[in-house]
Amino acid sequence: MMLRSSWRRLALPQVPPPAPRPGRRRAGSDAGAAGAPRYEVVVIGGGHAGTEAAAAAARGGARTLLLTHRIDTIGAMSCNPSFGGIGKGQLMREVDALDGLCGRVCDRSGVHYKVLNRCKGPAVWGLRAQIDRRLYKEHMQKEILNTPLLTVREASVEDLLLTEPETDRPGKCRVTGVVLGDGSTVHAGSVILTTGTFLRGMVLIGLEMHPAGRLGDQPAIGLAQTLEKLGFTMGRLKTGTPPRLTKDTIDFSGLEERVADNPPVPFSFLSEAVWIKVMLMAIDCCRYCPSFESKVLRFPNREHQVWLEPEGLESNVIYPQGMSMTLPPELQEQVIKSIPGLEKAKILQPGYGVQYDFLDPRQLTASLESRLVQRLFLAGQINGTTGYEEAAAQGVIAGINACLRVHGKPPFVISRTEGYIGVLIDDLTTLGTNEPYRMFTSRVEFRMSLRPDNADARLTHRGFEEAGCVSQQRYEQAVKMKAALEDGIATLKSLQFSISKWSQLLPEVSISSSRRSPVSAFDILRYPEANMELLARAVPEPLGKLAEWRQLAERLKIEVAYEWCVVNQQQEIEEVRRDEALRLPEDIDYFAIDASLSTEVREKLDCNRPQTIGAVSRIPGITPAAIVNLLRYVKTNHQKSEMPKALPQTGRYLPGKMYSEKATSERQISAEFSEEEPEHTFVKTPL
Amino acid sequence: MAGLAGSLPGLRPAEPGEFTRRAFRRGKLDLTAAEGLGDLIRAETEAQRRQALRQMEGELGRLYQRWSETLTQALAHLEAYIDFSEDDNVEEEVLSRVDATVRALEQEIGAHLQDGRRGELVRGGVHAVIAGPPNVGKSSLLNLLCQRPAAIVSPVAGTTRDVVEVALNVGGYPLVLSDTAGLRDATDPVEQEGVTRARDRVQQADLVLAVLDATAVLPEPVGMEAALGSLLPPTTATPCILVLNKADLLRGGEETLLRDTCAQGGSPTALLSCKTGEGLDQLLALLAQQLARLCGDPLAGSPSLTQSRHSLHLGACVAALARYGRERDLALAAERLRLARRHLGRITGHVGAEDVLDIIFRDFCVGK
Repeated sequence: MMLRSSWRRLALPQVPPPAPRPGRRRAGSDAGAAGAPRYEVVVIGGGHAGTEAAAAAARGGARTLLLTHRIDTIGAMSCNPSFGGIGKGQLMREVDALDGLCGRVCDRSGVHYKVLNRCKGPAVWGLRAQIDRRLYKEHMQKEILNTPLLTVREASVEDLLLTEPETDRPGKCRVTGVVLGDGSTVHAGSVILTTGTFLRGMVLIGLEMHPAGRLGDQPAIGLAQTLEKLGFTMGRLKTGTPPRLTKDTIDFSGLEERVADNPPVPFSFLSEAVWIKVMLMAIDCCRYCPSFESKVLRFPNREHQVWLEPEGLESNVIYPQGMSMTLPPELQEQVIKSIPGLEKAKILQPGYGVQYDFLDPRQLTASLESRLVQRLFLAGQINGTTGYEEAAAQGVIAGINACLRVHGKPPFVISRTEGYIGVLIDDLTTLGTNEPYRMFTSRVEFRMSLRPDNADARLTHRGFEEAGCVSQQRYEQAVKMKAALEDGIATLKSLQFSISKWSQLLPEVSISSSRRSPVSAFDILRYPEANMELLARAVPEPLGKLAEWRQLAERLKIEVAYEWCVVNQQQEIEEVRRDEALRLPEDIDYFAIDASLSTEVREKLDCNRPQTIGAVSRIPGITPAAIVNLLRYVKTNHQKSEMPKALPQTGRYLPGKMYSEKATSERQISAEFSEEEPEHTFVKTPL
Repeated sequence: MAGLAGSLPGLRPAEPGEFTRRAFRRGKLDLTAAEGLGDLIRAETEAQRRQALRQMEGELGRLYQRWSETLTQALAHLEAYIDFSEDDNVEEEVLSRVDATVRALEQEIGAHLQDGRRGELVRGGVHAVIAGPPNVGKSSLLNLLCQRPAAIVSPVAGTTRDVVEVALNVGGYPLVLSDTAGLRDATDPVEQEGVTRARDRVQQADLVLAVLDATAVLPEPVGMEAALGSLLPPTTATPCILVLNKADLLRGGEETLLRDTCAQGGSPTALLSCKTGEGLDQLLALLAQQLARLCGDPLAGSPSLTQSRHSLHLGACVAALARYGRERDLALAAERLRLARRHLGRITGHVGAEDVLDIIFRDFCVGK
């Protein structure tokens, strides 16, 4: 119910709200209606990208359909039984800040929380947890099947419905719906592809190969052929998963145990605490040195480590993280048995590899819409990434933008200067990838400003105001926290004493300053050994109330520690933003333009299709001179045409437009309230 | 021939610097090499020519490139430690190796910066200022050295108001010589301004030629030092040559006495008569000796810093490296290295995140 509040708030009084239809909604209900069913957004795939995309589109107010082969695999964690990690935890916090699902669902399914990099500074902390597979799937399905405006249907998608493109933007055609396995069609305003490893998926165990998207699931072949025929540049990637072991056949006695954090740090800004009270689980680590597969081929003489991760609270399955392999099952057994502690381990399911098609993500815009086929969005492994978190992050962005596109609103793009999500999508759409792309903190230029603790301050207001995908409750909570932080920093700065007074108040902190002038509590909090609790004990008034709110106290400490760095980065962030504001024309023909550019540079520009000068500067092999020459060319030749391409023209983009004159004029009066207006349109469509 | 070529369609004379610009744009020359070529064209003395040639051949660029590679690798190892040490196989020793590399690099770049701006001096010329009380013959000295009447001379004290500058080649080293107003408490506002400018010039000079009237100084070391002290700012470490002019007016005994005193004094001293030219050779020898000391041999040792742009970024780089060691928070420490690399990148070119990741995956067993 909380999710509904954001779009409901915006509804104009004369528009009747659509009848809420909670619970599982199947296509069966559409069967009696005349013509093909019509949705604003259709999502293909129910994995980590698909669920986030469908839920985000529905939160934004789009009537959404999620198509999946099997409803009971929605929310399946096909690989590791954990979420988060270094860089990935940051992505999850950002997904959560946009009201995404995975953080909240994890906090109801986590069984062992551990923040990685605890001793390396809060900017690079990696929030991570072992997740109970069964619980995660259960909670995710409950969430998806109860999301208002979201319908879920079991079907395979064989083809796309296409029509003439909109003429005001590049693209050779426009998608208007999908063709299902049974030959029936579904019409859609936007389509999101999140097919993961299913495009011509091929499972490999040893030398055996058979077509499958995941062990036991059918691949998508028709769709892959459609995409190929449309002219998408496609590539092939391989990923793998380790064998699963039986827990009671493992000898844990000689292994190192990794103890869970107490108290655990939740993923979601909404979670005060996680559901689990007592951590019973343990992850164990053993080191091994056998020589096998690529790791060992590249680094033969080193010790490698394996994490033995439980798959759930009541599960007897162990996931040996770090042992991904596609050897024949007999050899897998030999390798496993050579590891200390695993001498008697029994393999439940052998490790296997999956080969699958991915689409070169440089064919996408920063809103994850395809340049070739208008209104077709792509998210997740289909774009060449690996990891649940990377998939979820793209899913949210694709869902938001598919919805905004149908509603005729400008795209929602997160810049590299605003979030890990921005870095992820900019890297993919500008540089492409030739191996599964994974998030690292080292990819992020402004790591000190883009921290897990402040994702809500960076993104929640934008998600609420521009994308309409954030609930009122979350928005208000973020606003409250932001105000409390600003207030707290002001209080800390204004509280000043002499050095000797501070030393007397806080003997625990070794204050090393010869300054004569008074020193503020803000300066004192910078010392590594100082924290809000100590300060509040020393000066209860006015600091006591700041320390009482635990999250606030922790965040104040982090803000203070990084203040100089964030201030220093501001100037650089401005530089990057200026470059990003210099947009390049979408239809520029790099081979034809009259600028002093080498053939090599022209080829690179044509291949990467950068959208801004900032993106040009990140393409490897583009010289500073080329950037200057390109900039000069664009400034002299394209200044006039820069303006109109920012926003799509509203009102003439939906097939069979059914606006009353009244609705159209209302839209013009209240442009920012136009979200419910297509609602209005769709009330009349046979659903 | 040139006229004939010019009449052919599509042919035109190259614009100044056009070939260099083309070579730079096509990536045939890096920025330091292009800067070196520019210097070579402008070189007027032997030392400048040798230094520019060395830079154009890329020696300075190679030195900076090596530092850039060392720094990028240190950063990559630190980034690997941050991104992978808890999950994958990045050993704890990595951190201490990075610390050692950063310390060594900090010292090396620091030493390079401490070379007394030799390269810059060769490139831009050593700025020497003639300073002294009014009417001791400062302008006459300038005219004598440049062998033409560049400055107006008259017997009236306070003739020179503004700064007069000439460029000279002394023993192959470039010298920019400035004549300044005589230092005294002037009452005339124009002369006052001239005196202020003279004092500013002395502050900024690489070398000072302090001129005194030989007949007016006491022939004792103490007296001479006192006279010098009134000319130079008290804390300055600027090298100085003391020129005692009007030696032709000295009587025999005085001259001998003065020569003895000069030999005992702290600063190199020349006894000169601008009128007769006597003592000029000795002064030139002293000048050349000072210039050689300031500029060094452009062919010996490591290539010198030639541009203040370089020294600015290297200075900021060293400062960031120094702070690296003081950070307890590893993310902040990495930020210092990123900053140091960005400054070095302003000289050698940009290094992107992908380059760092390439090193991480080459050197460590990490990843999925």
